[in-house]
Amino acid sequence: MNARKLFAIVRREFSAYFASPLGYILLFAYYLIGGYFFWLIVSRTRAATMSYIFQNLTFIFLFTSPLITMRLWSEEEKNGTAELLKTSPLTLWEIVVGKYLGACSFFLVMSAGTLVYLVFILSLGNPDLLPLLSNYLGYFLAVMAFFAIGLFASTISENQIVAAIISFGVLLILWVIGVAGESAGGNLGDFLKYVSILSHTDDFYKGVIDLSHVFYLLSLIFMGLFFSVKVLESKRS
Amino acid sequence: MIEVKDLTKTYGNLAAIDKISFSVPKGTILGLLGPNGAGKTTTMRILTTSLAPTSGKATVAGFDVVTAPQEVRKHIGYLPEVPPIYNEMSVISYLRFVADIKEVPESKKANRVGEVLEMLDLGKMSLRLIGHLSLGFRQRVGLAQALIHDPDVLILDEPTRGLDPKQILEIRKLIKSLSGQRTIILSTHILPEVSSTCDDVIIVDQGKIVAADSVENLSQRLAGGKILDLEIKGSADEIGKALEKIDGVAAVKPLGRESRGVSRFEVSTDGSLETREELFNCVVKNKWVLYQLSPVGVSLEDVFLKLTTKDTAL
Ligand SMILES: Nc1ncnc2c1ncn2[C@@H]1O[C@H](COP(=O)(O)OP(=O)(O)OP(=O)(O)O)[C@@H](O)[C@H]1O
Ligand SMILES: [Mg+2]
Repeated sequence: MNARKLFAIVRREFSAYFASPLGYILLFAYYLIGGYFFWLIVSRTRAATMSYIFQNLTFIFLFTSPLITMRLWSEEEKNGTAELLKTSPLTLWEIVVGKYLGACSFFLVMSAGTLVYLVFILSLGNPDLLPLLSNYLGYFLAVMAFFAIGLFASTISENQIVAAIISFGVLLILWVIGVAGESAGGNLGDFLKYVSILSHTDDFYKGVIDLSHVFYLLSLIFMGLFFSVKVLESKRS
Repeated sequence: MIEVKDLTKTYGNLAAIDKISFSVPKGTILGLLGPNGAGKTTTMRILTTSLAPTSGKATVAGFDVVTAPQEVRKHIGYLPEVPPIYNEMSVISYLRFVADIKEVPESKKANRVGEVLEMLDLGKMSLRLIGHLSLGFRQRVGLAQALIHDPDVLILDEPTRGLDPKQILEIRKLIKSLSGQRTIILSTHILPEVSSTCDDVIIVDQGKIVAADSVENLSQRLAGGKILDLEIKGSADEIGKALEKIDGVAAVKPLGRESRGVSRFEVSTDGSLETREELFNCVVKNKWVLYQLSPVGVSLEDVFLKLTTKDTAL
């Protein structure tokens, strides 16, 4: 992977979010809702912890990440710019990873608000740092997994709305499948629970970093990117 | 520079292109001419590695489009049917982006972007958002993008689409000036484009090559086939038979009867003036009345239509 080419794609992708009202709307709404939740949680619990707020933010991303990722490839197909990327000396991995990191950079900007909460919490009480780190890690990995799935959905359809619906559908299934697992029981139940995202984020928000969960979320990210590359590959023939 | 052998692309049962073969020597401008759906874009997409062929082989600058696509990409500049532009970017930031992904050396980037802006007369527009530009200017940004890395091979899908007549002439001039070291393929439905810009021409229809020649030869072939339009008063049958017997007449095609017993014929001749005299003499000898004898110009247009409508071939 060539750093210059990769960075060019990341940068273009990132700035594209600020070229449409949608980007600003998402940012504004996210800061507003996040801030409101934070205030609500802190004023109720009076606890110096960020786990609740991260849980809520992750839940918000379940709904909003499809809106952020839907354009990633669909728009290129629609505008005909896919042709430029595909006929430039870029590998499909450079294209896919570049776009992914571009979207993740936007996510970083969205998450800048949490630093304010962090400062507030740190000044409020004297929380353990490790749980905070675990909270952050879980939040980042989970949302980044959402994004990878969204990117994959975007490679499937030229229509952004369709891409958003597909990624929301997949995310929702991965979310609620654990509930189905609870009631199913047995081996199937265990399997469903394992596949569910929820069962892999809870520990992070309890302040525990379990490598098996890290592995699960990283695999989800890798699969999202891998299948995106495969879909683009198949489009050539 | 470009070699294409038995190239085929099928979509289900439809062969978008069917065993196309041609080659383009270095420094040549080849025109791909054909009606809608002929397979021009499909051919270009295969040559630029954006589409894989179903069968057959194509090499660009010595590299196979299927087995060495990355090398091919370094050597080509491609203007797709729809200019691949990002509306939310300014012209200059777009060209910088393309320079990055096309591996223009960082040290030459600023220079090169400036050159290309000037070449396409985009200097004044460099800070404008591409989405705010007129169609013609967007097309020029598309061309600028194809030139930014100074490629050996240019593949231009309808490069003058959406341009006004003055710009069309300018872009054609530009394309001509770009040849020399570069090899260029352009597609078009417009014949003057081919005769004014290209060295060679390939006429495609329904995925097949129906004619391939140098523009010069093709024009000569056209000028050579002299066709006359005759209107003669008399019995159509007799006239037809008599005209066919004249030396230098290749074919006589009755075009039907006008009023007052006048018949029209399309007569293909060897093009000599003697034949015309013979035709006139024949009419006089038979005591018919000649109403009209005039040469019919055959333009590239006619050949194009002829070749691309089912029944006739050149
Ligand atoms: N993705 C596709 N799926 C199915 N058929 C396709 C596809 N792309 C092209 N075709 C068909 O292949 C044929 C050739 O199309 P192509 O776009 O190459 O024509 P063209 O010569 O560029 O036409 P135009 O002058 O209109 O641009 C057409 O019949 C078209 O319908
Ligand atoms: Mg076309």
